[in-house]
Amino acid sequence: MAQKIVTVTNLRKRYGDNEVVKGISFEVEKGEIFGILGPNGAGKTTTLEMIEAMRPIDGGSATIDGIDVASHAWEIRRIIGVQPQSPAFQDKTKLTEIIELFAAAYGENVDAMEFLRDVNLDEKASSFAESLSGGQRQRLSIAAALVHNPKVFFMDEPTTGLDPQARRNLWELVQQVRDKGVTVIMTTHYMDEAELLCDRVAIMDEGKIIALDSPKKLIKQLLAKGFTKKQHVEQADLEDVFIDFTGKALRD
Amino acid sequence: MKKALHTVAVFSRLNTRRFFRDRLALFFGIAFPVIFLFVFGGIFGRDSGVSFKVALINNSSSSQAQTLVSDIKHNKVFKVDPVITNLSEAKEKMNRSQLDATIVLPPSFGEQGQKYPTGKVQLLYTQNNEQAGQALSSLMDSVLTGLNGKYVSGDRPFTVESLKQTNNSLSRFDYAFAGLLGFSIIGLGIFGPINVFPELKKQGILRRLHTTPLRVWQYFVSTAISQTIVGMVSLGVLFAIAIAVFHLHVVGNWLEILIWVILSIIMILGIGLAVGGWARNERQAAPLGNLVVFPMMFLSGTFFPRFLMPEWLQGISNWLPLTPVIDGLRLIATEGKTILDILPQFGLLCGWMILIYIIAFRVFRWE
Repeated sequence: MAQKIVTVTNLRKRYGDNEVVKGISFEVEKGEIFGILGPNGAGKTTTLEMIEAMRPIDGGSATIDGIDVASHAWEIRRIIGVQPQSPAFQDKTKLTEIIELFAAAYGENVDAMEFLRDVNLDEKASSFAESLSGGQRQRLSIAAALVHNPKVFFMDEPTTGLDPQARRNLWELVQQVRDKGVTVIMTTHYMDEAELLCDRVAIMDEGKIIALDSPKKLIKQLLAKGFTKKQHVEQADLEDVFIDFTGKALRD
Repeated sequence: MKKALHTVAVFSRLNTRRFFRDRLALFFGIAFPVIFLFVFGGIFGRDSGVSFKVALINNSSSSQAQTLVSDIKHNKVFKVDPVITNLSEAKEKMNRSQLDATIVLPPSFGEQGQKYPTGKVQLLYTQNNEQAGQALSSLMDSVLTGLNGKYVSGDRPFTVESLKQTNNSLSRFDYAFAGLLGFSIIGLGIFGPINVFPELKKQGILRRLHTTPLRVWQYFVSTAISQTIVGMVSLGVLFAIAIAVFHLHVVGNWLEILIWVILSIIMILGIGLAVGGWARNERQAAPLGNLVVFPMMFLSGTFFPRFLMPEWLQGISNWLPLTPVIDGLRLIATEGKTILDILPQFGLLCGWMILIYIIAFRVFRWE
């Protein structure tokens, strides 16, 4: 059995009378990409924010690498990297300076170019952040979140609003991050993304986890229940057509 | 601790750099106060003494009248309107208070009397200009004394001797300049953060920083350092222009001025950090900012000197945070006081600084 790096036990959050996270529990293994899926309002982001020590935990507990989140928020911040839903950076700041700034927030001094190269932004190193496209901003945000070598990397809907090329590029990046030994926890409501990227997924609805397993096993379980999809065997779909016409090269 | 200070150093450096790249920030931080300086300098310029705007209508052709006209025109106290030629134009302008008075030399002025020429100068003024009229009438008396001397010699046993005291007297420009420095510090320290913070919160930039181990004190200290650097540049430009163009006479010690400027910027910035740090969005930041800034700006002597205010109002304004800033700058820079001479202002400044930063830390929100 692989080592557990994140343990969530009976986690709860309420806003007034509305309980948005209703006692969920799960564990994330070291080095996996763990997906939290669910429709809007399912409580995905709130769950993520509680584990990131960004929101007070109302009930239950969360630990990362054995450290309790609620009582040791500052230690937690040192070992996690966070990719927000829509990353934004202060304007009139060069990309290298943004990397320096985030490294400095951890008290570190890094070679900014090296991190920009990892996300293919080295050519833009001297541009200001406001001149970046959506996909470039996401990549910069990933680089900024990894400056301190975090153990766990959180991504909240990283590909929302990106074009197919940028999405594919981001998927590759996420896999590279995982290959470096960083555990990735991400939310998404794109099933193709989850199926391709995630080693295991938790499906959330109305504040509860209703299923948790690897995408393959979840599909098998569904088929075992006798589910049949309208057979429609085509060897390609519209996205394949789109990529065939426009290529995989990044367009930002 | 070394790492924590490294954080502060990098944040300060990048903040400062960002300011000097931002044209809008440069305009409001540096160019805007300079424009005000030229406006104030124009109004309260050091060498503009008392003068009266008058119309001069000469209906006489005598040589005495011509002598008098040239005497008046060469007297700096009279600013003679160059356009007006008749009485009805003059009256119209007087009614609009564009003129203080009209001097009329009647056709009979300079006619030969029994022993020597005589004449009566008429001085016309409206009831709104009673004071100017009286001052002018005695001025005309003294102008005529010169003319009379040519015809009648007489001893004048009692005379007035006016002695001008020039050393270290404060002109209205000195007051206006200290106020302007205060205005500039407010612009950087308060309007800066209350405009920037809501935007940073809206875009989630502060929230993103909060996912790192960055502490509020590190953020505050680095903001204070970069604002102080910017403020020193901005105030340095103001001092340089005031000295070069408006002949500001700085008698104080520059090091003490610098210390006072730094303390002032840090204290006033605390207000901006408290308001901007507390507000969730611009709808909260703008009204609260204005509520704090405008009374303080008017009562602390930014736009007009506090000694013009009634006693009870001065009693209130004595205690406002901006008052020791402006008074201290004037006392040190133009009156040559040292910080030890102005301990009450120093105490008030430090007291406010502690109180403001306690509040700013308590109310700060990352989103």
